[in-house]
Amino acid sequence: MRYVVLVLLNLPIILLAFVNILTQYKMRRVTKARFRHQIILWSIILIVLIFSFPLYNYLVGKPILDSRELSLFDIVQTTALVFMFYIINRQRQQIEQTERMVRDLHQEISIKLSENNGPR
Amino acid sequence: MFSRKKRVVVIIPAYNEARVIGEVVKGIIKALHKADYPGDVVVVNDGSKDNTSSEARQAGAIVIDHILNSGAGGATATGLSYANQKDYDIAATMDADGQHAPEDVVKGIDEIQKQGADLLIGSRLINADGMSKTKQLGNKGLSMITYLLFGINTTDSQSGLRIFSRKTLESLRWKTAGFEFCSEMIWRAKQLGLSIGEYPIQAIYTDYSRSKGQNNWNAVNILKSLLKRRLTEMFE
Repeated sequence: MRYVVLVLLNLPIILLAFVNILTQYKMRRVTKARFRHQIILWSIILIVLIFSFPLYNYLVGKPILDSRELSLFDIVQTTALVFMFYIINRQRQQIEQTERMVRDLHQEISIKLSENNGPR
Repeated sequence: MFSRKKRVVVIIPAYNEARVIGEVVKGIIKALHKADYPGDVVVVNDGSKDNTSSEARQAGAIVIDHILNSGAGGATATGLSYANQKDYDIAATMDADGQHAPEDVVKGIDEIQKQGADLLIGSRLINADGMSKTKQLGNKGLSMITYLLFGINTTDSQSGLRIFSRKTLESLRWKTAGFEFCSEMIWRAKQLGLSIGEYPIQAIYTDYSRSKGQNNWNAVNILKSLLKRRLTEMFE
């Protein structure tokens, strides 16, 4: 059941990645080589995800995968993810603010220059 | 209050439109003059690599040259900022490729006063004669997405022919710079509580305007950008 949830959660993200790269290619914003590379990369991720259950069965019992309940490492990892999300969101807001300032500046300069050069 | 004494400005964002911009400018100047509207035509040359700027100037437009290419949304924002600074009563935006009839612009300026709307959208889909089925599908799809994301019901969310009241010029701002600004603008207008109306227009498709128009692949890009915008704003 948990594997079905895993696939259901991740499949839309992978499909979005496929749509994204296909659109970029059709809009001629990426080269054919980059398009091919991205398709292969996301196909591998998709295949690994779909076969994650047999893969786990094969790997279970190996020391690195033994974790029955939430460990300290899981808590640290989750906290780190939340913290990273916070940082990324802050950065995004700052970038947006800077973008807006640059856009406003560009607008004002363009209008002022047109006036100075005689608009007609 | 309906009056043809109001100062109007028609804004035309243009990128590499030297072939047709002169005719478009002359057409709209003639239509405004015929309707007795005092006003100007402003071409925002969005960093074109051809003679768009000089052609527009020769045809009688006020030209604002963007130093950098900033997209249709950026060019429209510059034009509306100019309209706000110069205290025009009503502003209209139209496409530079000649797909809008000058008479439809004048009709919109009349109509916004009659309806008392703050933002009026010229809809090509109320009567879609002449528009290809593919374009209809793309435009209807984007209007549906605009409805699903922002809860605004318009028949043509991507139309470039729009009329703005003075109140709208003073308050309306948006963040996106590409073609997705068409949907975002309507969303921002709704957030500000501005009244949004529609009126039917005729789209004129020539080989030139077809070659310059947006294809349906760009609709995917617009959708992605709008989704991103909608999601990111949930964390602001």
